[in-house]
Amino acid sequence: MADQTPTLEDAFAPPGASWIRVSPKLATAYRISLAFIALLVLAGLVALTFIPDYPDVISLIAGAVLVVVVCWVWWLIGRRTRSWGYAEREDDLLVTSGIMFRRLVIVPYGRMQLVDVQAGPIHRWLGITTVQLHTAAATTDASIPGLTPAVAADLRDRLARRGEQRSAGL
Amino acid sequence: MSGQEQDPLAFEIVKPGRSAPDAQGRRRVHPWTPFIEGVRWWPGGIVAGVTLAAQLDVKLGSGAILVGLAGLVAVTLLGMAWAYLGWQRRTFWFDDDGDLRVDSGVLSRNERRLQLSRLQSVDVLQPLVARVAGLAEVRVEVAGAGDSKINLQYLTLREATDLRNEIIARSAGVRHDVAEAPENVLVRVPPGDLVVSLLLRAETWLLLAVSVLLLVTTVATNGVAGIGFLVVGGIPVFQVFTQFSRYYDFTVAESPDGLRLRHGLLQKTRQTVPPGRVQAVGFVQPFLWRKRGWVRVRLNVAGTSASTQGNGNESFTENVLLPVAPWPVALAVVARVLPGVDLQAIPTIPAPERSRRRAWIQWRQLAVGWDDQVFITRGGRITERWDVVPHARTQSVRVTQGIWQRSLGLASVHVDSTPGAVKIVGLHRDAADARRLAQEQADRAAEARAGDRSLRWVAQQHLAGSSPAAAASASPSADPGESILSSAHIEIPDLGSMPSPVEPHPGEAPES
Repeated sequence: MADQTPTLEDAFAPPGASWIRVSPKLATAYRISLAFIALLVLAGLVALTFIPDYPDVISLIAGAVLVVVVCWVWWLIGRRTRSWGYAEREDDLLVTSGIMFRRLVIVPYGRMQLVDVQAGPIHRWLGITTVQLHTAAATTDASIPGLTPAVAADLRDRLARRGEQRSAGL
Repeated sequence: MSGQEQDPLAFEIVKPGRSAPDAQGRRRVHPWTPFIEGVRWWPGGIVAGVTLAAQLDVKLGSGAILVGLAGLVAVTLLGMAWAYLGWQRRTFWFDDDGDLRVDSGVLSRNERRLQLSRLQSVDVLQPLVARVAGLAEVRVEVAGAGDSKINLQYLTLREATDLRNEIIARSAGVRHDVAEAPENVLVRVPPGDLVVSLLLRAETWLLLAVSVLLLVTTVATNGVAGIGFLVVGGIPVFQVFTQFSRYYDFTVAESPDGLRLRHGLLQKTRQTVPPGRVQAVGFVQPFLWRKRGWVRVRLNVAGTSASTQGNGNESFTENVLLPVAPWPVALAVVARVLPGVDLQAIPTIPAPERSRRRAWIQWRQLAVGWDDQVFITRGGRITERWDVVPHARTQSVRVTQGIWQRSLGLASVHVDSTPGAVKIVGLHRDAADARRLAQEQADRAAEARAGDRSLRWVAQQHLAGSSPAAAASASPSADPGESILSSAHIEIPDLGSMPSPVEPHPGEAPES
């Protein structure tokens, strides 16, 4: 099986032709959350200016910093969303993600204990879901966000089937 | 050997024997259980109450004492009444499939069934109060997500041991009405060594320093800072005593139904770890132990912290295989847990030299290695660690890379095991190597899983025609001279200069 492995120059290169990427709507979901948080902070800064003897310049500076940070995170979200990818191999599933802290997890189908499909309110509104795999190790952390419901359901069923076929004792 | 030595603290208040099953063959725990439950909190509760009273400056008159006593009696009686209801509703039995079933619950009923083919460990515990009464608690854990254990408290010690034997025999797939499997004591840790080993840990001195600091500030502030003791839960240095008390008279014995660990000064614990249930093994050597060639051995056993799954909260209990032992003894015991694996013969590959810019203290120690059965990592400079995971127990494999690592072209390889103290991380490998290593490890794990046969192990051994003891002694022993000479191997300190305070069983002399 080891000889199927291509020579990998990049540690996070796809095992086959390419990673299957997740929906760009995931970035939208994150950006909506970001906008909510930014608005809350902004409201707080504006509210502060109504306090007597409060130097407004503090709110101005904080607001400027906020704009810069939001712009940076906005851009980062785009890159981070594009960094998510997964690939199904014969015996295991590979998931990769991250820009600054990159990671790649290899989960054997035979080790999966359960597969979750979940979606929060924003994600549901945008029509994307998260598939999460659990093994007996708490550190496995293999979730794939930003899948369309049909793809997610297919993936879940496929993973569950393979898990059952290859299931091994602990 | 039955492994039941005379306990000086047992007054045999309770007559040994089995509780009679009822019409449906269901059994109850011992009728004294509600009483024990009612008084069990006394030592801790009284200490906490007195401390609180002292903090609140309660005048110590006869009135205060009366109120305190009345409260004590009331809470105890209430606790006993509640525990009596619980006792009445709690029954256990083996069902037609041979699995252990427990029904319990006063307000909400709880019916639990443990599939014994997935058994992970069986412990017989004797907290101090129960021990005085001659009672014991049985704790059974099986593999599974979420809460997958049963506590049966209390049974007579005899009954508890019988139950443990029956559970293990059923799980192993052999007749369960046969006598207890014979055992063979491998190691007994002398109390003197345990004391010295605790004194030689930096942790002990840190706790002592914190204790002194707390005491001094408490005195200096006329007791105001005493609240700090409540926050940290007593005088910190007492934790060292807790460790001593927990691992006092640590005995490792081998039997066909697994390794048996017995330890405890006040609370006696008897653990049984069936073969093949060990998820990972870790060796730890604090700096001051190095000269003596001592090492501590820890285990990951599935199920012990399954309740923490999902969130990053790690409140697992440390599973200790040996609190302190010389290297050769530790290796000999681990060879029983991982039969056929010779850790000293596994060649290891160090991390590349540029890793010094990321891990400037420990980079020289960083290494990974593997053979056809286990994956091993090494790290730590001051406190050294060696962590071992069998391929067949690998859950998943990860490669991670931080910003700094990326700029150096490094990445770390994690082999995920079940939650526990042992974490297997090959830190700071060459990035491309790390990826290759991870994929090869995943393939090795898949191969090992295909050949894994640890369920119903005794029945399978009969099929294969060998006993676990035979398998352990037949394990290939490598040429030790080679492994000491080669720097790429785990270094075993020279044994000639070292006293051997831990006596192994005469028949089980470790390889030197």
